[in-house]
Amino acid sequence: MEIYLPIAEQSMNVFVLLGLGGTAGLLAGMFGVGGGFLATPLLIFVGIPPAVAVASQANQVVANSVSSLQVQLRRGNVDIRMGLVLLLGGMIGSGGSVWLFTYLKRIGQIDFVIAVLYVILLSSIGVLMLYESTRTYLRRRRNPEAPRGKLHTHYLVHRLPFKLRFYKSKLYISALLPIGLGFAIGILSAILGVGGGFVLVPAMIYLLGMPTTVVIGTSNFQILFVAANVTFLQAATNSTVDVVLALLLIIGGVVGAPIGSRIAARLPGVVLRGLMAVLVLAVAAELLTELLRTPSSQYSIAGREMPL
Amino acid sequence: MRRPLVLSAVLWAFGLALCGPAALDPAWAQRVEPPGSLPGPTFGPPPNGVPPSVPTTPVMPDLIMDLSQPRVSITSAFQGESLLLFGMFDPPGEIVVVVAGPAARETVMRKERFLGLWLNTGRQAFDDVPAYYYIAASQPLQRLLARGAGGEILSLEDRMASVRSVGQREHQDLIRFRQGLVEVKRRDGLYPAAIGQVFVQAGRLFRVELPFPSRLPEGVYEVRAYLLREGRITAAVSRPLPVGKVGFSAELAGWATQDGELYGLSAIALALLAGWFGGAVMRRV
Repeated sequence: MEIYLPIAEQSMNVFVLLGLGGTAGLLAGMFGVGGGFLATPLLIFVGIPPAVAVASQANQVVANSVSSLQVQLRRGNVDIRMGLVLLLGGMIGSGGSVWLFTYLKRIGQIDFVIAVLYVILLSSIGVLMLYESTRTYLRRRRNPEAPRGKLHTHYLVHRLPFKLRFYKSKLYISALLPIGLGFAIGILSAILGVGGGFVLVPAMIYLLGMPTTVVIGTSNFQILFVAANVTFLQAATNSTVDVVLALLLIIGGVVGAPIGSRIAARLPGVVLRGLMAVLVLAVAAELLTELLRTPSSQYSIAGREMPL
Repeated sequence: MRRPLVLSAVLWAFGLALCGPAALDPAWAQRVEPPGSLPGPTFGPPPNGVPPSVPTTPVMPDLIMDLSQPRVSITSAFQGESLLLFGMFDPPGEIVVVVAGPAARETVMRKERFLGLWLNTGRQAFDDVPAYYYIAASQPLQRLLARGAGGEILSLEDRMASVRSVGQREHQDLIRFRQGLVEVKRRDGLYPAAIGQVFVQAGRLFRVELPFPSRLPEGVYEVRAYLLREGRITAAVSRPLPVGKVGFSAELAGWATQDGELYGLSAIALALLAGWFGGAVMRRV
């Protein structure tokens, strides 16, 4: 069954879009990531113009996050305080890097920058997560009675000023750290058009040392607002949000998200992180081959401007 | 869906043939119609200035045509469309049909290998690129045009040779970019690869299917039909074909471009509602 997408200006199979949304929803529920890092390249792959894919995907992430956030809030797994501090940085970062996006677009290198950033980010995060989770898993198997040790190690960053107490996360760290993290995520989401969960989740675990249970809910909280911001900015400046496309993705996502949450609730954190690492690496590998493989066609049309 | 259309068109044209004995008016015989002067089939008024109230022998132009639809409507169910162009001509002669979308500047990007990675390193803009281009003929086009040059009739290759490049580039390279542009347009179905076949029946009825893909740029397209005799254009008719979104699609697209802020806020509200209620419902299931 085909449906015409008024902003993307083409027709597309309804079930393909529902399936894509469902996959993104599953990821959102399982890992607390928006699923944008997987769904956006897939949308572009099936032929949606990149600008429309990015903007409409952001709209879907809004729905996904609120749906997952609902569950996390009820379970008390959201560190609102941490979320707000992250958000502060996120808004500054995404607002400020709009000019960077415009500049890259003007010199015609935005596609390349997006692809390379994805590959670098996803592969480094994937390797890091896989390494950590495998090590933890093996150590625990070898010696199940071993003490957990310290909750987290103390680095130089813990001596920064403006220390805040985050009760939910059992942390007493400088507010500059989450603000900086939020800022970096904001830049990423403005350029890559994703919520940034796939970077945020590991960063919260390894950089801030937050407990895995709180990470997913808090990341959902931050992503909700960042995605809403991106949706609004895209709609207001570029008119690239296709609500028909977004709605189909949302319907798929709404079905997928609770399934993901249920799976996540049953799996131990180590396994969850390992699975996400594998997935992240798979996407990175796919994008890398895309960059390395001789393309079927060297040519593409960048844009069409009507004469004035 | 397609068969009744063809049938009705043929019947319709046949009716035309019956009521008009195709009297040859000398004023019409060698006249090339300026574009847009004939909005579809015309019975009159007779071109020689006789008021229509005066009964005369009905005068038929050499070439008339019509489309199975007056416009291409992009609705929510649009998946591309095939329009039937049909008409009648005064034999002998051959028919060529050209459909061109609005012209605009298009920028072609080329991927090149750089440190092992395929990057968009080359870009070239072209002016006056038709959004869509389709040509169909009742005989192989080369044979029709070779004899005396069809004048304004351009095959896709000729049409593309006339697009203007923006800026400086080496000639051979420019040709490659131009080929790249055609290649991309072909892939999208906007430059249907083959030269279409105009079917002629009973020596004077003709019809041709115009294929429009789903990813169709909006605008006013131009449909032209030419009557060729011995390699020369002896008659031409032209009509505009508006291509545009209608109904829900049109309203949504219009809203998105005119009031982006409100559209964006509504999109967020919709997503919040759908996510919240959808999530709540799914958890009950």
